[in-house]
Amino acid sequence: MTDNILAAIARSVRTVLPEIGPDQVRQDRSLSDLGCNSVDRAEVVSLTMEDLGIDVPVNAFSGVTDIGTLADLLRAYA
Amino acid sequence: MTGPVVVTGLGVVCAAGCGPAAFAAGLRSGRSAVTDDGSGALAAAVSGFSLPGALSALPGLPAAMRDRAVRAAGRAPLPLQAALAAALQAWDSARLAGGAPPASRIAVVVGGHNLGGQHADEVRPRFAASPAYLPGRYALRYLDTDHVGTVSEVLGLAGEGFTVGGASASGNVAIICGARLVAAGDADACLVIGALTRLSAMERQAFVNLGALATAAPGADPASRCRPFDAGHCGFVPGEGAACLVLESARSAGGRGATPWATVAGYAQRLDGNSQADPDAAGEAAVMTEALRRAGIPAGQVDYVSTHGTGSRLGDETELAALRTVFGDDFGRPWLNATKGLTGHCLCAAGVVEAVATLIQLREGFVHPNPNLDHPIDPVARFAGPSPEPAGLRVALSNGFGFGGINTSVVFTRAAA
Repeated sequence: MTDNILAAIARSVRTVLPEIGPDQVRQDRSLSDLGCNSVDRAEVVSLTMEDLGIDVPVNAFSGVTDIGTLADLLRAYA
Repeated sequence: MTGPVVVTGLGVVCAAGCGPAAFAAGLRSGRSAVTDDGSGALAAAVSGFSLPGALSALPGLPAAMRDRAVRAAGRAPLPLQAALAAALQAWDSARLAGGAPPASRIAVVVGGHNLGGQHADEVRPRFAASPAYLPGRYALRYLDTDHVGTVSEVLGLAGEGFTVGGASASGNVAIICGARLVAAGDADACLVIGALTRLSAMERQAFVNLGALATAAPGADPASRCRPFDAGHCGFVPGEGAACLVLESARSAGGRGATPWATVAGYAQRLDGNSQADPDAAGEAAVMTEALRRAGIPAGQVDYVSTHGTGSRLGDETELAALRTVFGDDFGRPWLNATKGLTGHCLCAAGVVEAVATLIQLREGFVHPNPNLDHPIDPVARFAGPSPEPAGLRVALSNGFGFGGINTSVVFTRAAA
């Protein structure tokens, strides 16, 4: 399940920032590390939710620090 | 005041051509770009445009600027990409990459408003599926000022910047505003952008229900349906287009050895005191007369009029009445052209698209054809026919009139060779 979610996050990141390589989207990195600004980060999240068909309340993202914790949160709603 | 304002760069993305050279060829061809979208709705749509393609046609752009353009607008809606491409073309043709004038002395004025209607249509299904799927980026994209921010980011501009609106006169309003900024010394140069206007489904239908749009006719070539000043005129056809002029003080242009296309010799804007879609010949005549007065040019010296001419019955007849008032005995002297017959009505961008068309014709010495002018509604007016005509042009008047009684006219004089 986590792999599916990580793959969806990677697809979204690469939609927003096409120059990012697939193996750069790792659990221990943050979206900011990959070059996402605040608008990019919000778009990665909404694209990923749309891709997975899940709906996470906006305030639930406050504890997200890296791609791993983002994937954990999305998995909780999947 | 710092003296004359000149045009040192041009850019355009429209259905009749992407880039000034392709647009010049499109103007000479006299081909109407109006097509049927398959549903019976007529439009002059930009086809074959991509931002990477438009960037690759500008090999002189700095690599960092190219990268910023892709980063900032690679996934942006067509209006923003087209505006950015036109701005980059104009920047390139004005040779502004050398660092003079400095970034803090270059302004951006975008002519246009309500530019996001069709983008809203595109995004709405995602919002309907779940509000959480609406991209946060929409908070930026729905703002017309996204054009200002994006162009300034890509070109690294730090002067004044804002949007101005005047319905179908927006392009001319922006030219007037930009010329004022430069003339007042508040900027050495100003990128004036006419923003591509894509109507939303509801906006388009409102024009249909108003009886303002030309519609497809059984057996008729779509390209024959936009007919400014022809007895068969039956409304306007929307056109997709964005364009950009670099306005610059003559002192700045001269100081860096730039070659101006033309001088912005005069302009005028006035209201009819009327909120309606109801053009007024007195208001239209007043702006033409006032623009010429400010330019110090008698009406009898005008060589070319880029008419507002949309193909609307009332609009065309009103403008001809105004032109008769302005030119009097010289009414038959200037060439009258209707660029919308080729490009469609580019709405907010029209004034800038048509300024580009006018400056190309001034420099290259021709008037473009009016392909659908089979039975002109005025026997005296000097319209070009189905072929381009060689013409030595020096003084041009470019009109833009908008719903809500917004009248504008700008005078351009060709720079000495």
